[in-house]
Amino acid sequence: MSVVRSILGGLRSLFLGKETSRELDEEVCEFLEMAAEEKMKQGMRRKDALRAVRLERGSREATTEVVRAAGWESLVEACWQDVRFAVRLLIKNPGSAAAIVIALGLGMGMNTTVFSFVNALLLRPPALVQAPDTLYQVWLDNPRSSGAGRYLPLTFPDYIYDRDHNQSFQGMLAFDGDPESVTWNRSGEGQVVMGQLVSGNFFSLLGVNTVLGRAISPEDDRTADPQPVVVLSHAFWRESLGSDPAIVGKTLMLNGANYRVIGVASEGFAGLLVGIQPDFWAPTTTVEQITRDTGRLRSWHSHWLIAVGRLKPEVSEKVATAEMGVLEHQIELDHPDLKRNLGATAFPETLIPGPYRGYVSAFTALLMAVFGLVLLIACANVASFLLARATGRTREVAVRSALGAGRGRLVRQMLVESTLLSGLAGLAGLILAYGTAPLLLALKPAGLPITLRLPVDWRVLVFTMTLSLVCGLAFGLAPALRAASVPLASHLKDETQPAGYRKSRLRSVLMTCEVATCTVLLVGATLCVRSLRNASSIDPGFNTQHVITATLDPGSLGYSEAQVRSFYAELSERVQVAPGITSVSFIDHLPLGPAREQTAVTAAMSPTPGEPEAVPIDVLRVAPGYFQTMGIPLLRGRDFSSSEDKEGSRVTIINEALARRLWNTEDPLGRRISFHEEKVGMEIIGVVKTGKYRTLGEDPLAVAYLPQLPPRRTLIVRTSGDPAILLGTIRREIHSVDLSMAATDLETMQQYMTLPLFPARTTGLLLGVSGFLALALTSIGLFGVISYIVSQRTQEIGVRMALGAQHGDVLKLVVRHGLFLTGIGLAIGLGLAMGAAQLLSSLLYGIAPTDPRTFLGVALLLCVVAVLACYIPARRAMRVDPMMALRHE
Amino acid sequence: MTDQPSDLVQGTLDMLILKTVALEPMHGYGIAVRIEQMSRGVFRVNAGSLFVALQRLQRDGLIRGQWKATENGRRAKYYVLTEQGRRRLTSETRQWDRQAAAIARILEAS
Repeated sequence: MSVVRSILGGLRSLFLGKETSRELDEEVCEFLEMAAEEKMKQGMRRKDALRAVRLERGSREATTEVVRAAGWESLVEACWQDVRFAVRLLIKNPGSAAAIVIALGLGMGMNTTVFSFVNALLLRPPALVQAPDTLYQVWLDNPRSSGAGRYLPLTFPDYIYDRDHNQSFQGMLAFDGDPESVTWNRSGEGQVVMGQLVSGNFFSLLGVNTVLGRAISPEDDRTADPQPVVVLSHAFWRESLGSDPAIVGKTLMLNGANYRVIGVASEGFAGLLVGIQPDFWAPTTTVEQITRDTGRLRSWHSHWLIAVGRLKPEVSEKVATAEMGVLEHQIELDHPDLKRNLGATAFPETLIPGPYRGYVSAFTALLMAVFGLVLLIACANVASFLLARATGRTREVAVRSALGAGRGRLVRQMLVESTLLSGLAGLAGLILAYGTAPLLLALKPAGLPITLRLPVDWRVLVFTMTLSLVCGLAFGLAPALRAASVPLASHLKDETQPAGYRKSRLRSVLMTCEVATCTVLLVGATLCVRSLRNASSIDPGFNTQHVITATLDPGSLGYSEAQVRSFYAELSERVQVAPGITSVSFIDHLPLGPAREQTAVTAAMSPTPGEPEAVPIDVLRVAPGYFQTMGIPLLRGRDFSSSEDKEGSRVTIINEALARRLWNTEDPLGRRISFHEEKVGMEIIGVVKTGKYRTLGEDPLAVAYLPQLPPRRTLIVRTSGDPAILLGTIRREIHSVDLSMAATDLETMQQYMTLPLFPARTTGLLLGVSGFLALALTSIGLFGVISYIVSQRTQEIGVRMALGAQHGDVLKLVVRHGLFLTGIGLAIGLGLAMGAAQLLSSLLYGIAPTDPRTFLGVALLLCVVAVLACYIPARRAMRVDPMMALRHE
Repeated sequence: MTDQPSDLVQGTLDMLILKTVALEPMHGYGIAVRIEQMSRGVFRVNAGSLFVALQRLQRDGLIRGQWKATENGRRAKYYVLTEQGRRRLTSETRQWDRQAAAIARILEAS
């Protein structure tokens, strides 16, 4: 018992640390003081006396140190003994150790993988940025809408006003929240690179340096005189420019204009957004030049800047948020014509912008929970295995306790063993995570311009270590307590214990829990996989077969309107006559992609009196032939004609959803709708079938098509055969029209469609994997428990058979017990799954979270697995020779 | 060599402390001085080992400490033997006697 007491004493001194050590200090002081007094009585001077005492008895510091260490010394030494003993045991049973490490390692590996995502997305601070915890993002807040759409980035005038008037921040920077794809004219040939526009104080406020040249300064970023300068990212400089040491001062031709390179940023710096690694940074005021979007710097409606402020030390987050709201209110007062009615708010700076953080957290939390359950099953398996071994080790334990090992010492020995096992499993998990994390990244559609790094850093290590420790204690505690509480005498006498269910009650409970957890996971996985199959078969409203798309932006190269027009005319003509191509058209941005143009319209000259109701709509801009090329049925009226793409031709085609919304069942042809409260409306010349525009799962969305296209367009080509073999033809045609042009997303429509299905596919795959692992672990667990029970009852079965029991009776006996456990587990599991599936309901498409077929199927599957897991041990039991069993003793 | 104070035989300090505080409640320095006096200067107790032993004995519930004023106005922690400590002292003394006698017999045999 002294071990337990010394642990308690040690713990107490940890908790009461200060009190105890202060008391000890005082006591030792008194001791030395008294000794010194004794010497002074003999005539020594105080100084000499004190020195003599120090020499004879030891100094105060050394003494207290020795005393403090002594309490723990024995404990550490004993633990070391335990570890050595545990290692010897593991080496003696390499098979079972390997099985445990693999099962647990799988569970931990999956958890570590998910955690490395959580780490990369949510926990890691931006690289190289000084004091990132004092940075706050400022977002505009539209209280009338909800969800992530509630928050808007700042416009340029908003940013300038907030930057110059706020009192909360030491400084406020801004950067382009949606980095620009820019065409780099690399000795005549176009290449697409990614650029991020940043305010002049971006680098200085973040404290990021350059390895060559200088960073962008506020002087480069003046509205009156924007400087065409760029700072290159270290990776771009290394990979595309061969680490040219004389790069500073040279120019790059970006979107048709020359930019002077002024510096190269420090290695590893990638800005403040997760997943985006810009190739270069340029001043925000060059935005109109780079995007050819004139008026962006003056617009109060173009929301494109994420602003980040560094909080002054004395200001709290709350005060800053309040101040941003006040400033926004002031803007509304200064500009009464704006009528934006927006608020503003501040979020702590994270790599995922504040408004979206909640969604990412919820998704990763779901994944963590799912794989946590898989780990729980693995732990239950290992616990039940160790319980069996603990029963097998009762003799060893009995001998050791007879030789004087205390109960506490025995428990600790067992716990050291299980922690050692789970530590090894944690190591295996780390290695597994290191391998699987990149595989998961490979699921990402190629078209998504996101580069995510998943470093295994100290956070991941701490996570896995904690996980190992907790698991080791969790699955080790029950067997340890069981083993240490054996009655001595009976085991030393090798008394064979009466077999039965009661002996293995704890294991049966564990097994039931396993079945329950497995049920929950299987139901979740099945629902998601079936929803994925439904989602893949959703009709997006257009024909995805035999279509090629490619995005082009001649405007970014500085082409005039006439040049743009002739480029597209020539391209259209050439592609049209290429073999295997049936029709060609253009759209400003593809549906189901990230870009969208939103506005609101009213029915012009509406019959209802008073203010007509404004209907929010999405606007798509298309060339003639779009509906035919995409296979969208034109329900009424006609398509645009080629002469209607000029500014001022006031015609539009709407979808059925908008027609229904505005005029219900009346014929919309010839009627007018007004955009932005214009007096003169647009005439409706056609109605098309409603499709899917933002997400595949959306409710019917009102959409209007306009014939005026911007210079940036997506080419859409319908082919008669396999579109994949024609990708090269399209690329050649584009280059033959203009060599300096580069198409950004040249792909087939089916490749493009992987993007909208990405979330459903990833969830489906991950849950599928977790369900499969859970099923495998649970069947192994069931098999293990039943085999164990059968082996414990061999003698009893022998007696029964000797007394005339038939094979069938034995089989029934064993299977009944297995099915009994499974049945209870299933009942609990199905109940829990009902609740858990509700959490998934937002991810599910076309299937109810309580889908009866799924629940029934999972229940059946588990029953079949249980019967199989029982059958093999039962057959072994039937073959028992009654005489052998009886003689077993 | 013989005039130098020597270290205690391993494991005997606990017993000596128990014996010392069995006579009357005593503080740390008092215990050290008493052991030195009673051994006529053969043993010298240094502060480190004394306090380690005191902590150990307290943790095992053999002695109990209490802060009190000393005769010359200082404050010190006085240790008292507990009932458990008294039993331990008796058993250890008996065992020591047996062992010492046995060792003595072995050494005298030659």
